Amino acid sequence: MTALARSATAHLWTGMLMVAVLLVWVALPWFLSRSAIDILVFTGIYTIAGLGVSFLLGQCGIVSLAQSGFYGIGAYATAYGTTVLGLPIPVCIVLGMLVSAVIAAAVGVPVLRLSGHFLALATLALAIIAHVLFLELEWITGGTLGIGGIPRISLFGFTFATPFRFYYLVWPSAFALLLAYSLLLRSRTGIALRAMRDAPAAAAVAGIPIASLKVRIFVLSAAVGAFAGSLFAHYVSFISVDSFAIDRAIGFLLIAVLGGVRSIPGTIAGALFVTAAPNYLSRLGDIHPLLFALALIVAVIFLPGGFGGFMANLGAKLSSGGRRPSAPAGG
Amino acid sequence: MKRRTLAAGAFAAALIGSGRAKAQGATGEPIKVGAIISLTGPGAGLGQPQRQGMLLAEKTINAAGGVGGRPIKLFIEDDGSKPDIAKSKAERLIFDEKVSAIIGPSLTASTGAVAALTNAEGMPELCFTGLGPRTELTYKSLFHLLPPQDLNARAMLEYTTKELKAKKIGILHDTGYGQVVTNQLNTLREKYGVEFSAIEKFEVGASDVSAQAAKVRAANPDVVFVIATSAVPFRNARQVKIEQPIVSAIGSSTYDYVRGFGEYADNIVFPEFLVGEQPKDSQKAFVDAFRKEYGSLPKNFEAAAWDGVHIVAKAVEKAGPRASGKELAAAMRAPYSGVMASYDFTKDDMTGIDLSSYVFSKLVGGKFERLPFTTK
Amino acid sequence: MTFTLLIQSILAGLTNGFVYGLIGLGIAVAFRGARIINAMQGDVALIGAVMAYSASVSFGLPMPVGFVIGVVAGGLTGFLVDRLMIRPTLKRRGSEDSLLLVTLGGAFAVSAAVLLYFGRDSYPIPGIGGNDIVDVFDASMRVHAIWLIVISLAVVAALRWFYAKTLVGQALLAASIDPEGALTLGINVGRMRALTFGLGGLVGGLAGVLVAPLINIQYEMGLLLTLKGFAAAILGGLSSPFGAIFGGVLLGLVESLAVVTISSGYKDVVSMTLLIAIMIVLPQGLFGRRGRLGG
Repeated sequence: MTALARSATAHLWTGMLMVAVLLVWVALPWFLSRSAIDILVFTGIYTIAGLGVSFLLGQCGIVSLAQSGFYGIGAYATAYGTTVLGLPIPVCIVLGMLVSAVIAAAVGVPVLRLSGHFLALATLALAIIAHVLFLELEWITGGTLGIGGIPRISLFGFTFATPFRFYYLVWPSAFALLLAYSLLLRSRTGIALRAMRDAPAAAAVAGIPIASLKVRIFVLSAAVGAFAGSLFAHYVSFISVDSFAIDRAIGFLLIAVLGGVRSIPGTIAGALFVTAAPNYLSRLGDIHPLLFALALIVAVIFLPGGFGGFMANLGAKLSSGGRRPSAPAGG
Repeated sequence: MKRRTLAAGAFAAALIGSGRAKAQGATGEPIKVGAIISLTGPGAGLGQPQRQGMLLAEKTINAAGGVGGRPIKLFIEDDGSKPDIAKSKAERLIFDEKVSAIIGPSLTASTGAVAALTNAEGMPELCFTGLGPRTELTYKSLFHLLPPQDLNARAMLEYTTKELKAKKIGILHDTGYGQVVTNQLNTLREKYGVEFSAIEKFEVGASDVSAQAAKVRAANPDVVFVIATSAVPFRNARQVKIEQPIVSAIGSSTYDYVRGFGEYADNIVFPEFLVGEQPKDSQKAFVDAFRKEYGSLPKNFEAAAWDGVHIVAKAVEKAGPRASGKELAAAMRAPYSGVMASYDFTKDDMTGIDLSSYVFSKLVGGKFERLPFTTK
Repeated sequence: MTFTLLIQSILAGLTNGFVYGLIGLGIAVAFRGARIINAMQGDVALIGAVMAYSASVSFGLPMPVGFVIGVVAGGLTGFLVDRLMIRPTLKRRGSEDSLLLVTLGGAFAVSAAVLLYFGRDSYPIPGIGGNDIVDVFDASMRVHAIWLIVISLAVVAALRWFYAKTLVGQALLAASIDPEGALTLGINVGRMRALTFGLGGLVGGLAGVLVAPLINIQYEMGLLLTLKGFAAAILGGLSSPFGAIFGGVLLGLVESLAVVTISSGYKDVVSMTLLIAIMIVLPQGLFGRRGRLGG
C-alpha cells in the first residue's frame, strides 16, 4: 500500500468514526433518564472550563488554579446583567468574557513571569482573592445568599430550560471550542507553543515572543472559563459564592490532568469522571467521598497520560499494530 | 478490625435507611418523599442530624399505620455540600423517582439550585435553610423549616436589650452564615437603639481568629455576638480575654461545636428552639423517642427534620393520595404546630415562625440550660 | 489602634504563623528530599491529631504516649504515601502534575475517611500547660503556643544538623539533587525517597499534635492547612526548613496586621497580593538559594 493510499484509508476511518460519534451524541438524550442528561450537561459545562486549564497546562506548562475565578466572573456578569440591569443574555455572556479577559491580561503580565510551583501558588492566590471579592462585593454578587431567578437562554422562542434542551446547547459549544483549540494547535501559534514548551531557550532565540504568547493563551483560557460560568448560571438559574471556591479550581485542574493535558478530546473524559463519579458513587452510602478519592488515585497512577493518552495509545495500537508512532490526539 | 466493622456498619446503615419502610405496619403503596441533604463535605454537621430526625419520623409514622395505610418512603440523597450535585440529585428524585415532595437541602446555596427546579414544577420543597435571595419570596412551593435570618437577628437583640439591658455590642462573625445574620442586625440597629462598636469577620474554616477577637475586645462592648458555623471564634474570644457575655445564633448551637468549645463552653446564650435537656412540654415526646432510638439528645436540626416529614405526611393526608405537586403544596400552605416551632406557611415569608417559638438557652459549664426568658 | 491591640495581633500572627510554618516545614522536607509537592501534608497533621486524641482521650493512655503515637502515625503515613502512591506513579512515568494530583487524591481520602470513621467532631487535645495563658502588656498568649514556637525552632535546628552532618542526611540530599549520580555512588534512591516522606510525615504528625490544642482540627481542615503551609514553604524558597518557618511567620503576621489595620474582610486579599508580589520580586523565595529548582 502506498503512503497516499494508507493516509486516505486512515482519513476514511476517522471520518466514519466521527459520523458514528455524532449519531450517538444526537441520539443519547432520547435514551437516558433526565438526571443522566443533567449530568451530561454539567459534563459539557465543565469540559469547556477544563479545556482552558488543560490547554494552558499541556501546551504552555502553566498550572492554573485561577479558573474558578474566571468561571465566577462569567457567572456573576450574566446573573447581574440579566437580573439587575436587564441586559440581553448574549450581551451579558460577551461582557463576562470581556471582563475576564481584561482581568486575565492585567494579572497575567506580572504573574506569568513566574514558573512551576511558584506560578501554581500565584494562580491559587488569585483564586482565593477572587473568592473573597465575590463574598465582599455583595451589591453585585449577593454574597452568601447568591442571585436567583437568572433567566433561561432562549433562541427564536425556543427556551433551553430542561436538561434535554440544554444538552443541545452546551455540547455544540463544547465541540466548537474543541475544534477551535485543535486548529489553534495546528496553526503557527501551536508550533510556537510547542517550541516554547519543549525548548524554551531555543524558542527565545528563534524570536518567539514567549511572554506575550503566554499572556494571550491565559487570556483565552480566562474567556473560555467565563463562558462556561455564564452557561452554568443560565442552566441552574441560581448562583452563589459556594460554586466558585477553591474546590472548584481544584476540580478544573483534576479534569485537565485526568483527561490528559496533551489530549484535547481527553478533557471530555476527565470532565465526565469528575461529574459523574461522585453522583453515582453516592448510591453506595456515606463512604462515597472515600471511594471517589481512591478512584482518583488509581486513575492517576495507572493512566499517567490521562484518559486521552490512554485512548490515543489504544487507538494507535488497534489501527496500525504499532506501525505508526502513537501521536496523541491533538498533540 | 474496628475500621472494617465501622465500614460495614455505615454501609448497612445506608441500606437500612432506604429499605426501612417496608417492614413496618403500613402496607399500601408507599408515598415517595425525596430528601437532599449534606451528609459529607463541610455541611455534614447539618445533614447528619437532619437524617436522624427524618429517619425517626419515617419509622414513627409508618409504625403508626402510615398515611391512610400507605407507608412513607424516604429517598435520602447526599449533595456532598455542593449546589450543582444538589441540582442533579433533585432531577433524579423529581423526574426519575417521581417523588411527591422534596425535603432539604441543608445549605443555602444548594437550596437556591434546587428551588429553581421545584419552583418550575410546582413541587413542594421543605428546606432546612432560612429565606435566601429575594426571588425566593416569589417561590410559592418553597417552604422554610428554619426561620429567616432577620428573625434570628431579632431574637438575639431581644435578649440583649431586654434581659441584659445592653446597648453596646461587638460582633465577631464568619463570612457565610454570620455575614447574612449581621446584615440583618445592621438593619435592626436603630429599631432596637443599639450600637455596634466593632464588627469583625473571618473566613469560613479559619483556624485562628484571635486578631479579630482582639479588635472586638478593644472596642470594649457590653455584650459580644459571635455568629459562626465553627467552634474557633468562641475559643479565641475567651482566649483573648473577652469576658463579657456572649450571645450567639442558632447555627452555632450544636453538640459538635459545644464539644469543640472545650472549657470555654460557658456563659454563651443561644436563641434557639429546642433544649434537649429541658424540652418544652410539646417537645418531650419527640426528645424521648429520639433518645430511645439514638441514645443521644436531639437539637434544632433533628427537630426541623422530624417536622418536615410530618408536614409532608399531613399534606398528603389532606390532599389525598392522587394529589399533584401543586395540590400538595396548596395543602401545605396552612399553619402547622411542629416540634421545633409553630409554622404558618400561609405567611409571605413561607415559614411563619415568630419570636414566640424561640427558647433561650445558656451554656453553663459545658451544659445547655433553658433560660426563663421569653420574648413576651 | 491601642498598643494592646497591636501586641495582641502580633501574638496572634506569630501563633498562626508557626502553625502555617510547621505544615510548610513538612512540605519543604518532602520537596528537599524528593522534589515532590506533598498536597497531603495538612491531612498528615490531621491523622497525627486524630491518633493522638484517640490514644489519649478514647483509650485513656497518658498524654505523652498519645503525643508519640500521633507523631509516629504521621511518619508511618508519610512512608505509606511514598510506597502506595508516589512510587507506583513514578514507575509509570507520571508527570509532576500526576504527583501533585495523586497526593491531592490522598488528601481527599484522608478527609473522607476521618469523617466516616471518626466523625465530624474536632480534636481538642489538651495543650502543654493546659489552657494557661501568659500576659504580655495586657495581651495574651497561650503557654502552649510558646511551646509550639520553641519546638518548631528545635525541629528546624535538628533538621539542619541532620542534612549537614549525618551521612544519611547527605545521601538524602545527593539522591534528590542528582539521582543518577547518587545511584553510581551506591545510594538507594528509592529508599532515600521513602525516608524523606517518612521524615516529612513525622514533621506532619508533630504539627498535628502541636496545632490541635490551638485550632479546631477536624475532617475538612487538612486542605486548608496545606494551602497555607504551601504558601509558607514557597515564601521560604521551598526547600529550606528555616525558610518555611520564616515564610509562615511572615504570612501569619501580615494576615493579623491586615485585620487590625485594614479590614478583616479583605485580610486574604492583602496577604495573597503580598504573596504574589514577593514571588515576583524575589523569584527564589526569601531563603531559597536553590529556589529555581522549585520551578
